[in-house]
Amino acid sequence: MHPTETDKKDAFVVEGKLALPYQYFAGRTGSRFILGLRDDKKIRGTRCDTCNKVFVPPRQVCDRCFEKIEDKWVDAGPEGTVTGYTVIRYAEPHQPEKPPYILALIKLDNADTPIAHIVKGVPASQMKTGMRVYPVFAKKTMDSILDISHFRVVKPAFELGYTYEELEVGMSASFTKTITETDVYLFAGISGDFNPMHLNEEFAKLTPFGTRIAHGVLPQSLIAPVLGMKLPGLGTVALEITTRFKGPTYFGDTVTATAEVVELLPEKKRARLALSWTNQRGELIGEGTAVVIPPGALPMKK
Amino acid sequence: MKKNRNVGIIGVGQSRYSSHREEVNQPELIHEAVRDALAHAGITMEEVDCVVHGNMELFEMIHQPDLWHSLGLGSAGKECLRVTTGGTTGSTLVCAADYLVASGLHDIVLAVGFEKLQEGHTTGGITNMADPLWGRQLQTGALTGMTAADMIEEFGEERAKKVSMKYRIIMDKHAMLNEKAHRRLGLEFDQADELAVNSPALVGELRMIHMCSQSDGACAMVFASEEKAKQLKKQPAWLKDHITVHREEMFGMFGDAPYITTHRHAATQLFERNGITNPRKELDLFEMYDPSSWWGLDWLREFLLLTGDGHLKMVENDEITINGSFPVNPSGGVIASNPIGATAMVRVAEAALQIMGEAGTHQIPRRINQALASGFGGTMWTVLFLLTREPPK
Repeated sequence: MHPTETDKKDAFVVEGKLALPYQYFAGRTGSRFILGLRDDKKIRGTRCDTCNKVFVPPRQVCDRCFEKIEDKWVDAGPEGTVTGYTVIRYAEPHQPEKPPYILALIKLDNADTPIAHIVKGVPASQMKTGMRVYPVFAKKTMDSILDISHFRVVKPAFELGYTYEELEVGMSASFTKTITETDVYLFAGISGDFNPMHLNEEFAKLTPFGTRIAHGVLPQSLIAPVLGMKLPGLGTVALEITTRFKGPTYFGDTVTATAEVVELLPEKKRARLALSWTNQRGELIGEGTAVVIPPGALPMKK
Repeated sequence: MKKNRNVGIIGVGQSRYSSHREEVNQPELIHEAVRDALAHAGITMEEVDCVVHGNMELFEMIHQPDLWHSLGLGSAGKECLRVTTGGTTGSTLVCAADYLVASGLHDIVLAVGFEKLQEGHTTGGITNMADPLWGRQLQTGALTGMTAADMIEEFGEERAKKVSMKYRIIMDKHAMLNEKAHRRLGLEFDQADELAVNSPALVGELRMIHMCSQSDGACAMVFASEEKAKQLKKQPAWLKDHITVHREEMFGMFGDAPYITTHRHAATQLFERNGITNPRKELDLFEMYDPSSWWGLDWLREFLLLTGDGHLKMVENDEITINGSFPVNPSGGVIASNPIGATAMVRVAEAALQIMGEAGTHQIPRRINQALASGFGGTMWTVLFLLTREPPK
């Protein structure tokens, strides 16, 4: 039989605490690194010409070939690439941040060895190796490696839409807009289509619609922001859009253009989407299909 | 000791010992010794098969120092072993390197002992040695006045104090010859009376002047198989034998019945199995781990198996000086330099240099055929080495 609980009766426990002060001599090489951070906001390393390597943090001597490299200083970074990371999810008094936070290995540009530091600006669930980061220096010096407060994820100027690999059948997106008289008159100017059924109420009274209606391709064009900015999104190239017009759009109607992925075409990494247009009364005013090249399939120019 | 094959010491490297080495970090300090030792052995790191690293636990408040010291050790890609046995760490490093080579496991082993005592808190670290229930709140670190009290009782206050101070001044005169030594005070014999009164009292009759230093420093040694040693070094120093003896952690655990000291026990065994019947005559040098001038003096009697006041006479008659008939610690000893994880290794290293004839400015001016070196640590932990000029048969 194994007892499940320890019998603590008459068991004395010595409660102790040892606080041991310490210093650490950084050495001249380490000193220059840490003072460079503090005073110049520069991250510097030392370079071994024999091994063709730049060490950050710097070393006095290359540990492989024993060449003295304490005078071979080079600037590193400031940007770098995350080569590994973990998410700290528990709290300890010695930790620099409240959890959760990301601790990463960062290989600075021009360096061959990574340094460990905190990464911010990205949720833990979206953290990835390979991310580009840049240092944010502390407002007040800490006289330590925390003179770099943390590294922050470099945000791209544009966030591209879903790649072919990210798209799934069933994904949908839409855009809604109220079509006004102004829209119709501007479109007439843009297209040169001054057809009186759009612009002349008296003429329009004679048509089957009984009043002015919008140009058919005006509500149809509302699918463009869906495909180009939502699904798949930025970077998409539309190859084909077909439309069947099912009903008119009157001035003041609110039109919703919707696209839904219905087929993935693996051969050329394209996607087919079903398109539909409806108004505020739930009437179907148009339907069709589109074939697009999602972002990532064609290279972006730098 | 029955060895599979002979082991020769072919390289010795030491950093400069000092109370302050702010200009180097730990790997850099170690690197000074490593670079020196490799150069002395005439080899590069390429030829080293295994690296043995050691220092005191807790003294620098660092964990797994052997791993992050690899930048200075050159141990990347090598077999590596960390050893830590308190004050005897340096000794045990030598033992480990000896085993690794003698066994045939490795042909060339680099052993490195290190300490940067200024970075940590020695007494805080040592206090952990004591039992948390019985002793820790009473512990005074490494300091003890017991030996001084015993010697005063046995030989009278005047003589005991006078001889221990003379021992101290002799050690300082030796340290003055060794440019790597930490404390080189330039003491003269006529200062003895003044020091005995004015040096700050620590524990009982143990004063600051009697006590060893707290130093920053590193020592590295290269050990090689007989075949390699003969190829690489014209005159290696041969590690003929060594013995490790220790007793209980608390002084009084077994009661205060008369006991044989670990030093005397170690010496008795070592001499007997190596056929040494008259250590005073058959040994040419003793590098002793002497943490204070009271201990150094007292332990002479233990290690040399003397009785009565034989050890006092050796000091009174100047026999232990570098030019004397039985030189002790021409390096200045532990009283002058004490980077703890290296200290016990420095004893073997210095004995080896004397045998090689390469001790430089503190070389004993005659041929050293056989030398003794000791390490000390814990409460009573002794490691005793026998080194020879000729390869053991």
